[in-house]
Amino acid sequence: MIPARSEYLKELAQSGQKIMGVLPALYPRELLWAFDIHTAEIWDPPGEILHANAHLQTTICPIVKRSLEFILKEPDVINAGYLFPHTCDSLQNLGTQVKDLIGVSLPVYTFYNPKGSFNTTTTTYYRDILQNFQSSLETSYGPLDSEKLLTACVLSHKIDSHLITIQHARMTDQLPLSNSEFFKLMRAQEYLLPKDYLSLLEQVDILDQPAKTTGARLLVSGILPPTPEILEFLDELGVSVVADDLLAVSRRIPKFPMDPPTSALDYLTDRFFILPPCSTRGGDLDERLYHLSKLMNESQVQGLLFDIVKFCEPELFDHRLLVKTLRERNIPVLTLETELHNHISGQDKTRIEAFTELLFDMVVT
Amino acid sequence: MSIRAEIKYKIMKDYGAPALMALQEFKRRKPRPIPEAFGPPLESNKRLKEILSRHYFLSRYVPGVKKVAWVTSGAPVELLRAFDFYTIYPENHSALIGAKKQGADYCGIAEGSGFSQDLCSYARIDLGHMLSGKTPAGKLPKPDLLFCSNNICQTVLYWYKAIAHELDIPLIHFDAPFVTTEQTEADITYMAQQLQDMIPILERVSQRVFYLDVFEDILKCSMETSQTWGAILDAMKAQPAPMTIFDAFGHLAPIVSLRGFPVAQDYYHILMEEVETRVTQGIGAISDERYRLIWDNIAIWYKVRFLATFFAERKMNFVTATYTNAWAETTGYLDVKDPWTSMAKTYGQIILNNNLKHRLELMKKMIKTYAVDGMVMHSTRSCKPYSVGQFDLRKALTADLDLPAVILDADIADERVWSEQQIHTRLEAFCETLEGSRNA
Repeated sequence: MIPARSEYLKELAQSGQKIMGVLPALYPRELLWAFDIHTAEIWDPPGEILHANAHLQTTICPIVKRSLEFILKEPDVINAGYLFPHTCDSLQNLGTQVKDLIGVSLPVYTFYNPKGSFNTTTTTYYRDILQNFQSSLETSYGPLDSEKLLTACVLSHKIDSHLITIQHARMTDQLPLSNSEFFKLMRAQEYLLPKDYLSLLEQVDILDQPAKTTGARLLVSGILPPTPEILEFLDELGVSVVADDLLAVSRRIPKFPMDPPTSALDYLTDRFFILPPCSTRGGDLDERLYHLSKLMNESQVQGLLFDIVKFCEPELFDHRLLVKTLRERNIPVLTLETELHNHISGQDKTRIEAFTELLFDMVVT
Repeated sequence: MSIRAEIKYKIMKDYGAPALMALQEFKRRKPRPIPEAFGPPLESNKRLKEILSRHYFLSRYVPGVKKVAWVTSGAPVELLRAFDFYTIYPENHSALIGAKKQGADYCGIAEGSGFSQDLCSYARIDLGHMLSGKTPAGKLPKPDLLFCSNNICQTVLYWYKAIAHELDIPLIHFDAPFVTTEQTEADITYMAQQLQDMIPILERVSQRVFYLDVFEDILKCSMETSQTWGAILDAMKAQPAPMTIFDAFGHLAPIVSLRGFPVAQDYYHILMEEVETRVTQGIGAISDERYRLIWDNIAIWYKVRFLATFFAERKMNFVTATYTNAWAETTGYLDVKDPWTSMAKTYGQIILNNNLKHRLELMKKMIKTYAVDGMVMHSTRSCKPYSVGQFDLRKALTADLDLPAVILDADIADERVWSEQQIHTRLEAFCETLEGSRNA
């Protein structure tokens, strides 16, 4: 049983736990854990957007708008500040907008993620960024206990290992979870304490043998998993999402298992550079195509669903080439554009149905 | 390099380009009448057109003679100059297409091939050009190299990645960490090292050797050019201002695309001289300057003439802009004796790579020093780093300085976004407020 996000965080905050609100997407969570700060990620808080509209244009992505709406409410569950990792232009500016213009009562931190192709210069710099971030946290929370950081890295490593195993089991039909249940499990890491999340992962039932399935198999790509309503609809249609290329999910899990950490700084640096290719890091398109093809082969999917957040520039630029290449390879592709409302329009429902029919035809052939 | 191409290039440089200039001059014998609201036009316009036409004209003959690089406006181009790359600025080219009101056509080509309409219009126009080969400049050479920096936006990285893949050519990216409070030593070292890491790649692509002394000369030239550009903008503090910001949007082209070349340096000396003369003689860009305004964000290229006339007729002159200032603001950090570190400081701290507190303070300073009465902010769909935060900047500036302000929702180069009625209403309301505040 996965606890509900808001109730869980409320209880934690009431118990005196320090909680930092973290915006998408990549950040060294282990450093925060080492300072006893819990991270509650802010991706798509529910509710109507009211106050954020006074601060942001209509053409800004719903993740940014919803995040700001959440911050403006000054929720009690966030008590240690906000962290804005450098992900895209809009989140970059939102960080400084909140810190320097709007003003919030809690401290605002930022974390730069290097962009482009990586080499030793980037690796050296990333280590410097980690140390600078550590120093900025030390200013508020006192000196870092390096043993605690290593323990946090060990915990993180265990979580990653379980996630890699679970993702593999999902691909090989050894994970008896519906689409909705699977992504609920994946997204629980956004707010559960790491020890609670690890304990949840340890309880996941992995079958010894692949289950016999007759449904269609799908890979999803984008920023966030499709909304629960879409996932349920796919469940109803007998389509399994067996692999993903989502920023909120597998793009934050190392491509392959890492050795257990012995040096925290080395571990954190290595981990960042072996994450799967991602549009927001500005990586090479060929590398992304190769990664997607590999995922598709390994998971034996019949098609790919792009669930694109409206106005998301990093994804939209890559999207055209990915779709073009996949179509040239006769792989069915469907693109949905989401504003993160949990409802499917009639038109999208019809498109999903037509798309899945195509996938089922391929299963038969 | 091909000898035949080299001879052709030389002929075109020495004879073709001057002939083209002469033809253009002949065509311009009957200048367009200037509306009464404006002062006499700048004589330097003629030279500006010559320089830019020549640059685009010669680019047709450059393949086989020099390696061609497509470069972003904020990239440290001085390094490429040291390898004699012929540089083309897609942003400039897209602005040119936008100014000709052809942006929607080119955007349509990119959209037809699968690029989203929600992407930056500079990018869509450029991708439309790349996919179709169409250009109002006649013909542009295909690049051998792409060079971009995310110090103006992350978008350029995504955009150039798409071109690099399509054309199968190398892309060099200069990663400029965003300045959230101030640049750290680590940021500076990282950028300085990246620049040095680029040298072997540039040597390989250009098949030329890097000479530090050549590079230092280029850097010196670039620095002096930026300083002169800054002095020209400073001259607009005079009342009446000798030119409008709409003039400056045009005169910006050499500092963006020919920075590091003596031709740009010489050009700005000519412009500086003319501007100084106008200041001495009290010649204003508009015939009766009563109100002085600041512009925020990139120009609305397809409406420059409309906006210039609209405001001039109401005796309002734009005397400063955050946009034009961007190529002068951080030049002070350049140091020929310490090229790598100083370039990291110069290119890493430009306005779009700096936090909004910095932008707020900069705008306050500009408003005060240029004796500004009102502010027009262009909220553009294409540029998130320029636009996200503008609503709160406006609030802070109007509250602190009691400054009338208006935000125009439009786009830099896609004219389909322009809503005539809505903009007109907003502009009229703004002018009324501005006049009302003066009367009060």
